[in-house]
Amino acid sequence: MNTQIKESGNQVIASFSGRLDTAAAVPTAEAVKPLLEVENKEIILDCSQLEYISSSGLRIFLSIRKEAATHGSKVIVRNINADIRQVFMMTGFISLFDIQ
Amino acid sequence: MKKERKIKTRSGFGIVLVAAAVLEAISCLMYFTSRAAIKQESEERAKTELRKAELEIEMHTIEMETAAKTLSLLLEKHIDDPNAAYADTRLAVSSLRENTSLAVAYIPDYFPKKGRYYEICSTRISPDSIHTRQIGSAEHDYTQMEWFQNGFVHDSCWWCEPYLDDSGSETFVVSCSYPVCDKEGRIVAVVCVDLSLEFLKTKLPNYLQVYPNSYYSIKSSKGEDIVRVMDTVPGKKYSLFEEEIDATGWHIEIVIPEEELFADLNRIGKIVGLLMLLGLVILILLVVHSVRTVRKMLDFAEKNQRIEGELEIAQTIQMAMLPKVFPPFMDRLDLNIHGMLRPAKEVGGDLYDFYVRDNKLLFCIGDVSGKGVPAALVMATARSLFRSISVHEEDAGRIVSMLNDAMTENNEQNMFVTLFLGILDLKTGEMNYCNAGHNAPVIVESLKFKVESLEVLPNLPLGIEAGFPFQTQHTKMQYGDTLFLYTDGLTEAENKNHEQFGDERMMRVLSDPRSERPQQLILSMEQAVDAFVGESQQSDDLTMCAIRYQIPALIMRNDIQQIPTLAEWIEGLEIPTELNMPVNLALEEAVTNVMLYAYPGRNDGKVFVEFQRVNNGKQLIFTISDSGIPFDPTAAPEADTTLSAEERQIGGLGIYLVRQLMDEVRYERIDDKNILTLVKTLNG
Repeated sequence: MNTQIKESGNQVIASFSGRLDTAAAVPTAEAVKPLLEVENKEIILDCSQLEYISSSGLRIFLSIRKEAATHGSKVIVRNINADIRQVFMMTGFISLFDIQ
Repeated sequence: MKKERKIKTRSGFGIVLVAAAVLEAISCLMYFTSRAAIKQESEERAKTELRKAELEIEMHTIEMETAAKTLSLLLEKHIDDPNAAYADTRLAVSSLRENTSLAVAYIPDYFPKKGRYYEICSTRISPDSIHTRQIGSAEHDYTQMEWFQNGFVHDSCWWCEPYLDDSGSETFVVSCSYPVCDKEGRIVAVVCVDLSLEFLKTKLPNYLQVYPNSYYSIKSSKGEDIVRVMDTVPGKKYSLFEEEIDATGWHIEIVIPEEELFADLNRIGKIVGLLMLLGLVILILLVVHSVRTVRKMLDFAEKNQRIEGELEIAQTIQMAMLPKVFPPFMDRLDLNIHGMLRPAKEVGGDLYDFYVRDNKLLFCIGDVSGKGVPAALVMATARSLFRSISVHEEDAGRIVSMLNDAMTENNEQNMFVTLFLGILDLKTGEMNYCNAGHNAPVIVESLKFKVESLEVLPNLPLGIEAGFPFQTQHTKMQYGDTLFLYTDGLTEAENKNHEQFGDERMMRVLSDPRSERPQQLILSMEQAVDAFVGESQQSDDLTMCAIRYQIPALIMRNDIQQIPTLAEWIEGLEIPTELNMPVNLALEEAVTNVMLYAYPGRNDGKVFVEFQRVNNGKQLIFTISDSGIPFDPTAAPEADTTLSAEERQIGGLGIYLVRQLMDEVRYERIDDKNILTLVKTLNG
């Protein structure tokens, strides 16, 4: 599981690649810590390389979303695959995020 | 085949016949064309020569006629002078080219003083000497002579018939007569010029002898022979060419015997005929030879085809004996088997086989000596013997002994089989085995902690010595161990430098931690061998089989880092693709829950995950069990997914997902164990 964060102007892009399961959630949570401080920017969660997500991963996304709200940033989730979309649907996360 | 032979022979002779007919036709055409050409040529030649002869003769006749006419004119001038004849005839005869005589004879009593008969004749004997005399007398009564009489009948030169002259020289002479007239126009004398026909014998042959055996004849106008060379032979064919001499009325004939004319042609024709015959004989020999060669080639091709067919049959026999379906025991989780056999171009005799009865796996791998159909047949025999003998036997050594006895019987070809045979008790992991001269298999422990060849006694290959005491050996397989069976087609695979793949390389591939499952193991070994061998041709069957004695359940420690192991284990179950995500997610959530809450304060807890396919594969059942504190995940409150982001709680999502993804979720506490059962029903 690989996490990369890039800044580009008014955007912060976090790219996830691999399986975001319970085991991978631990290092990923660490890797996304910078996102929790981002102020007044667009945080883009690029999921085009993300194969799989479980509840631990969802938890990380949720925490990013919550922190962004308090810091005036907007969270956009991009390019989730069909499986992950289904998970988002089931868990109601589909309405918590701006999905592109 | 016989029919084919007949056709081949017939067509062979057909060729000869056609060739002969064509040659014959061509040579006939050539012959007759040549004949016509020769004939035409001879015709033209004869005509030319005849013309030349005619000219030659006319040269003489005209000269004589001119002399006669001139003499007559002269005499007419001196018609009254009897003595004029002396001078005139001398003058006339001297002007001639040839030595001849001419005369003038007056009608009787024309010059009464000279007597009744008055004929003056001048004969040139040599260019300097001319004899002139009067030869008319009663004895020489010229009035009776033809030439004299001719002078009256005809008013132009007239040539008489040839006659032999008086001198007895055997030479024909012709005389040309011309009248002499007086002033009143009455004929008073006749001039006569003689022409010796000697030249006919000397000069004309140059012209008229057109062919060595042709001949000519000159006939007078009355049909008398002037010159004759030969007689025609009745029955022979001749070509005749004629020319008439206008002045004298003679007929010159050239006679060419046809056999003379075509002598050369016929000779050539005979030679050509002989050559043609020779050529035909050669052609026949060639045809016969090529027919034989073609027959040989056909036989050879037929034989080849038959051999190809046999090889195909051998391969079919071989492939039919092999296990085809992998994984073979879908419902048994304690066994994962994968194998392959890639035959060499020339069919060898490798085999491997396995089956399960009474919770035991019976398996064998073997290599028959030799190649081709005989090896395939021995292989097929060995395989059926294995199946039939092992049904009632539990001891590998005994089975191998019985196999050996059966195969040494009727082994005239001295074919032998190396074999490794084993019986694995799936409940206990205990395996008894017997080796008969085969390569020792390798035991690969799970996670590659140990990769080692199994200790085997070589004993003897099957089919060599009846009654040989084969010894059984024992070992114990642990959960996760893989037994790797192979034939020497693997270790002895050669590259173009004649290096062998060898044991070391094989062990290296087996030790690679990336290939845990039998299918991966076999594939990576195959790839390694292919990469090593490169473009060299495979010389022996490549055979391998990996038997993994599996844990029926997945056992994990209560450490979430083990979750990837769960994912891998799920992949090994080979469930339908569309269920991959739901099953993975549901199991992960359930297992994570157990790991986090079932063993508080402990890190040595075990989590078991079992899998069953029931109801004809229509239902998948996952059982997650642990021996931790009583914990019912279904009792925990579910997350409320309708809450906003701010309101959402971090927890409760896991079990919610499990319920959403699975069709049934059941919790039981049995024997101090938490047992969570998840059921997924397949659609359709």
